[in-house]
Amino acid sequence: MTTATMNKSDLMAPPVVQTMQQRSLIIGAIAAVASVAGAFLAPGSFYSAYLTGFMFWLGLSLGCMAILMLYHLVGGAWGTVIRRILESGMMTIPLMFVLFIPILLHLPKLYFWARPGLTDPKIVEIAHSYLNFNGILLRYILYFAIWIGMAYFLNRWSTEQDSIAGQSTLRFRALSSIGLVIYSLTISFAVIDWVMSLQARWISTIYGLLFIAGEALSAFCFAVVIEGILGKRKPMSQYLTDTEVHDHGKFMLAFVMVWAYFNFSQWLIIWAGNLPEEIPWYMRRLNGGWEAVGLFLVVFHFAVPFALLLSRQLKRKARTLVWLASWLIFMRIVDIFWHVEPASHPTFHVSWVHFTIIAGIGGLWMAYFFHNLRSRPLLPVNAPQTLRLLEPSHE
Amino acid sequence: MSDTSTYGLMAEFDSAKELVAAAHKTHEAGYQKIDAYSPFPIEGLAEAIGFHKNRVPLVVLIGGLIGGISAYALQYWVAVITYPVNIGGRPYHSWPSFIIVTFELTILFAGLSAAIGMLVLNGLPMPYHPVFNVPEFAKASDNKFFLVVFSSDPKYDATRTRSFLTGLAPRMVAEVPS
Repeated sequence: MTTATMNKSDLMAPPVVQTMQQRSLIIGAIAAVASVAGAFLAPGSFYSAYLTGFMFWLGLSLGCMAILMLYHLVGGAWGTVIRRILESGMMTIPLMFVLFIPILLHLPKLYFWARPGLTDPKIVEIAHSYLNFNGILLRYILYFAIWIGMAYFLNRWSTEQDSIAGQSTLRFRALSSIGLVIYSLTISFAVIDWVMSLQARWISTIYGLLFIAGEALSAFCFAVVIEGILGKRKPMSQYLTDTEVHDHGKFMLAFVMVWAYFNFSQWLIIWAGNLPEEIPWYMRRLNGGWEAVGLFLVVFHFAVPFALLLSRQLKRKARTLVWLASWLIFMRIVDIFWHVEPASHPTFHVSWVHFTIIAGIGGLWMAYFFHNLRSRPLLPVNAPQTLRLLEPSHE
Repeated sequence: MSDTSTYGLMAEFDSAKELVAAAHKTHEAGYQKIDAYSPFPIEGLAEAIGFHKNRVPLVVLIGGLIGGISAYALQYWVAVITYPVNIGGRPYHSWPSFIIVTFELTILFAGLSAAIGMLVLNGLPMPYHPVFNVPEFAKASDNKFFLVVFSSDPKYDATRTRSFLTGLAPRMVAEVPS
């Protein structure tokens, strides 16, 4: 690696990123138009499909932010090489802020507690005090203000590292340490508001962690997929080695296991307790065809990826790891679909709007992501971690 | 020509980079029974001496499977066969509650297999090793890098191997008595 001579322009993203940005925008625009049509043609399917798409892409943005914070705290070359990918992903949160508005304006379409004619006194009380339009609006603004604020500073300081050398990295660590705590709390409250409350009278204290694990997994898989595109081209081919790809593979394995561990914990406790207020959530999701989706998740979100990720060879090559990462991203969507959709449809239901919404939000998200990625060098040029990464390793 | 009184030939290098380059050349020259020693792990060195695979992963896999299967079998035997207890009407074979112990014992056995398997396959503990007969070798744990060609290598020849190693520009080449 003769990278002592590398400078800002050498580290800019390759032209393929611009091509991908344009294609994403076109796909996103077409699918978005189709989705808007879907809101009128298939109103029975639209809103829950929209929530699935929204939760997945928001999870990717937040997962990128969480992994970036983790990297600022623990360091390591694994994070330096994907840092700008994570930052570009994280900076799509403002898009997700806007995309929540359709949900906010149609709460009764999704949430039983927003509909008139509630009779259960307990639910009436909750709907009166916490789960109502004003509460959702207030907390939605609060969550996004916090997320956008943290993302904004982490990103701005990172941009400063392109031009100013020799700065301390203390502020990154300070914000990240408190930021990870804030993220865990805000996302837990957010999924209670937006996903857990789909099911009447059901609570699970581990619910936020299911999403935290899933979002971290999504973010790593996404970073690996982007590596698959950029890793063969300059400048990434000059600094991305099998060792870092291997690390990303290990993280994928770890988060596949954490995801399974949290899900199993929730399932075991509810199964063993067998209480009437706890089991309806699983009864809904293990009947009417949904049990096939649940089994599919156990096998293809956990068992098969877990077994494959044990292989050292598979984890070390971006070429092979990309396929598994793409598959796991698909499984992330299936997982959220299995959480959201049974609340509206007791029997298995999937509609064409699911596909247009995921592609529509996704296309816009990806276009925004590629735009962010293209606007700066692929490594923060003057960050001490970058300098360590680029110095020849065998001396 | 193999010489039973000699363990091999040792070359000393100043840097990790030189060692990796020398190891590459030696391996390419057709020597198979070679080994390298350094004060710290060096990326690419194992590949350079033609070391590709070890059996530790297989030992770990077998250990993990034994741990998992025996944990599940024990719970099944206790809860279903020898001492079945009706707990709140749940089936005797309540597999979800067996999973945790199965998982923990899989990890325990796999972890122990990894540690023990690594020691056994490395031949450790090893109170005597011929390379320590060379006084300079003490610096292998400090700041020097060593490459050894074993006399058991089919291509080994006391004079030709020595001149080959000298051609790699080491600090010195020494014979390792066995």
